[in-house]
Amino acid sequence: MIEIKYVPTICPYCGTGCGLNLVVKNGKIAGVEPFKRHPVNEGKVCPKGNFGYQFVNRSDRLTTPLIKENGEFREASWDEALDLVAAKLREVSDEDPNKVGFYACARSPNENIYITQKLARVACGTQNVDHCARICHGPTVAGLATAFGSGAMTNGFDSIKQADYIFCIGSNCMEAHPLFGRKLIQAKKNGAKLVVVDPRFTPTAKIADEYVEFETGTDVALMNAMIKVIIDNDLQDDEFIAKRTRGYEEMKEAVEKYTPERASQITGIRPEVIEHLAIEYASADRAAIVYSLGITEHSHGADNVMSTANLAMLTGNIGREGTGVNPLRGQNNVQGACDMGALPSDYVGYRKVSDPETTAWFNDYYSGHGYEVNLPAIPGLTLVEMMNAAHAGDLKVLYIHGEDPVLSDADVKHTREALANLEMLIVQECFLTDTAQCADVVLPAAGWGEQEGTFTSGERRVQCLHKAQEPPEGAWVDWKIMEEIAVRMGVPRQLFHYESAEEIFDEIRQCAPIMAGMNRERLDTPEALHWPCTSVDDPCQPLMHKDKFAHPDGLGVFQALDHRGPVEKVDDEYPLLLTTTRILFHYHATMTRRCETLSNEVKTGFIEINPEDAKKRGILDGEVVKAFSRRGEIAIPARITEDIRQGIVNIPMHFVECAANVLTNSDSFDPKSKMVELKACAIQVEKLPEELEMKTEVYRHGTDTQIRAEEMSTTTVKKRGI
Amino acid sequence: MSIKINDKYYAYSAIDDIKRKGEYGGAVTTIMKYLLEEGIVDGVVGVCQGYDIYDGVPTLITDPDEVIKTAGSIHCATLNIAKFISKYLDGARYMKLAVACKPCDAMTLRELMKKGNVIEDNLILIGINCGGTMPPVPTIRMIKDVYELDPADVIREEISKGKLIVETSEGEVGYSIENLEKQGMGRRENCQRCNLKIPFNADLALGNWGVVGELEGKATFVEVFSDKGAEVLNKVIEANLIKITPSDEEGIKKRDFINNFMLKESLNKKQTDYAGTTGDIIDVFYKYSDEFSRCMKCYGCREACPLCFCKDCCLEAEGPEWVPGGRTPAAPFFHLTRMVHMADACTNCGQCSEVCPSEIPVAKVWSTVNNKIRETYGYIPGMISEDSLPFTDHVSKAKRL
Repeated sequence: MIEIKYVPTICPYCGTGCGLNLVVKNGKIAGVEPFKRHPVNEGKVCPKGNFGYQFVNRSDRLTTPLIKENGEFREASWDEALDLVAAKLREVSDEDPNKVGFYACARSPNENIYITQKLARVACGTQNVDHCARICHGPTVAGLATAFGSGAMTNGFDSIKQADYIFCIGSNCMEAHPLFGRKLIQAKKNGAKLVVVDPRFTPTAKIADEYVEFETGTDVALMNAMIKVIIDNDLQDDEFIAKRTRGYEEMKEAVEKYTPERASQITGIRPEVIEHLAIEYASADRAAIVYSLGITEHSHGADNVMSTANLAMLTGNIGREGTGVNPLRGQNNVQGACDMGALPSDYVGYRKVSDPETTAWFNDYYSGHGYEVNLPAIPGLTLVEMMNAAHAGDLKVLYIHGEDPVLSDADVKHTREALANLEMLIVQECFLTDTAQCADVVLPAAGWGEQEGTFTSGERRVQCLHKAQEPPEGAWVDWKIMEEIAVRMGVPRQLFHYESAEEIFDEIRQCAPIMAGMNRERLDTPEALHWPCTSVDDPCQPLMHKDKFAHPDGLGVFQALDHRGPVEKVDDEYPLLLTTTRILFHYHATMTRRCETLSNEVKTGFIEINPEDAKKRGILDGEVVKAFSRRGEIAIPARITEDIRQGIVNIPMHFVECAANVLTNSDSFDPKSKMVELKACAIQVEKLPEELEMKTEVYRHGTDTQIRAEEMSTTTVKKRGI
Repeated sequence: MSIKINDKYYAYSAIDDIKRKGEYGGAVTTIMKYLLEEGIVDGVVGVCQGYDIYDGVPTLITDPDEVIKTAGSIHCATLNIAKFISKYLDGARYMKLAVACKPCDAMTLRELMKKGNVIEDNLILIGINCGGTMPPVPTIRMIKDVYELDPADVIREEISKGKLIVETSEGEVGYSIENLEKQGMGRRENCQRCNLKIPFNADLALGNWGVVGELEGKATFVEVFSDKGAEVLNKVIEANLIKITPSDEEGIKKRDFINNFMLKESLNKKQTDYAGTTGDIIDVFYKYSDEFSRCMKCYGCREACPLCFCKDCCLEAEGPEWVPGGRTPAAPFFHLTRMVHMADACTNCGQCSEVCPSEIPVAKVWSTVNNKIRETYGYIPGMISEDSLPFTDHVSKAKRL
């Protein structure tokens, strides 16, 4: 007889945090059905929500630990693999804890992430723990913390429905956060004006009231000019500036030279359009800014972010419903990964490593049962710095929990070289990803739907997940894997043993005052809870900065900023500026490319190119072309479209066989946030001498341990000398 | 057999526990439990409460003692049970099921039977009167903002005498349903258009409308619509599990009055919704082209539509690519294709609109087109009939000699 049940849980893709029901038939996940009771999405989901479960029971799930010997993987017992990993981590951390690094997984529940940073800090004594927010919303965390004292989205998602004017810059939410996109549609129905500013005429731009195209990487110049126009027209909110902010005069001075005419030359937007945008934004009663990675993924990402904060504070558009600075967080739990202290500068709850008292508190909290923790009050290496340290030979062991930097970090060649240079790469994964193929030890982990825990969405809503099925036999829950490693490293089991994910969350509440009030009774409801939630009777409303900002003095801080633009400029040799994006049907690759419906929809990558640029090169629509930069070269089908500005090309980042990140630039650091410039680098596109077919069925039959990395990865025409 | 088609009774459970927990005498729960206990069916499909009264979860029950979990109605369970049976229970191909169904569930099951997607012989449709269901999240918001009550304190809601009444332990609050719906609250839009309130397309129809006199609130009005229904009712009465008395003339009149009043309201809503178009496919498609232009191709409407059950969907076909893969917003062909494929059988169940992230009023569009098909071909979806589906069935003119 059939046994069937609905298990309500949270979608594992973007940071919107939609609820859905997993349908479990005879113990296996068999489908997704609407969870109409969920307050965020009311039963509506995007294609990833509808079909993104299909990867779970794929035959190529990892179910046994793998150890690489002489370049080949062999299956190993858990005992052997755990002993090997623990011994190496112990040996290198004893030598120098700075030679060990950890990447936490922003797709994983908070509890796993918390244990990852605990393993790094408590078992290895290193502060080298980070995650993909660094190359996603790291500039948001850094930039908004500088401006407002807290690096998170200032309003809840539903707040946008009360806006009169929405300034959406560098966010293609109809594709990247579709159920937030729905709220833009609802806002429009309520009478809001939606303006989209983007170098591409995106699906989001297509549903807007006004669309403004501009040059990639010129955001600061645009917003500085808007600020100048607002001040020149006396549209600033003097009372808000006087009572709630500081740094205004310095900022005012800095924007003085950004006349609309000058900004027009930089941005490519006509001066009168800049004036129009500025006046409309400042004149609206409730104006909201929405942005995403188009703002952050630049070498001046933090400056871009702070420009949005300047605009909002200048006009008093913060601390009220329908206003605010609304960065849309990428991964389902990238907000949580930041909150959990998977940051080299912060412990859980954004408690600062550099503060000696805080570090002393954690040293004391984590010590016990005869084991002493002695962390330095010095921030560790960021994700990008760890990879660079590995490349330079300064990092010996890297433990990657569920991330795929070979695909997602800038400059694939650099990443591969760095990973090859490690003494040991440990990858904890559900599938043999491109990164896992570079590993020395692969540890098979339980995935989404197979464990309890919590995700924190972009509006700081901490939501409970529910287990729908058992993990495949042989795959373990992450925090249990890490408990075994810690114990084998000589840490008393009591410090790492938990009976349930809920017990881990209780420890998180003890360490993070912003989550202290999140008891299970209130948390495990469809509405769940937003942080800050300092006590059990805290109403935990999503709106932040209502009466004061999160800085100790309660004031918001204006920043004086200058336009810097992309590090790598186009020239005769590389005349096209490459931007990278996500598409609606994929979210990176590991999961969505293994979902049949999503993979059928978009099987491989493409390069978007303007008809004029294509014509100049004699390129036809759909033809496989050669795209190359100073870093490397790929073959990729061309998609000729009017939706992209002349001189700019775009590659979605999901497809390893034509990976955008072969071309991107890894030494283009944002000094303020350590972001690399994923959204701007100079490339050239050429017709190929002969017709080439793409490998599009990379995941069709699954990967297996017999296939070697080279056979699986990037389609390369020929290596170029650098 | 004493019970026959078109018989009308007041019925209530003879089992004290069920009588207490079930609504209006617990007749539905008692029948379901009996069918399962006697092995007449392998499973019962009903709706259980999830998190709270705003969360309805479709449930397959195989243990007779668990049938009680489905007792009581959940007015925010805006589900289509037909999809659950078709998609997850193999269309009752391998098991016999008794299904508690609203009129739209029954209509959809009837259509799926005609298409061979669910097996009629394996289903007993226990129909339940329905005046409409309300979407959970907007309803919670309405209870907070309009009724100024804590949604968690609500014990019951019902539509009675033109008012939507919400009851807490403190008492009842009611507002005009017409006014609420004018402001976009209340029942789902498709429910406001619905042309079937008493599921006479099921085997039995049960509900509290028309129960008058001393049994009011304590019994359910039962009407028999098929031999299968008569047999079930007969057996459960013979087993001394259900007690019946013939329905009162005045009660029958009252039930008809409620039904006719609601149908009239639906007719008004339809006239509003269908205004400004001839109802012809191209004309309707043109009218809504701005709305369709927001489609992000989530496939949600296809996934939710109980009539979309193809294993290989032509919307995903690789060649010819009518709707090119990965292109968003979707080509207009996406909805035009769906429209052509299901418009003749559309039961106005509303699932498509409910799941649309782009706020496209898809259910209204299909209903508009389906109405034109009804007018033109005379085919009414969802009924027990031998009529052929206008676009699905081939009608031969050949004379059989």
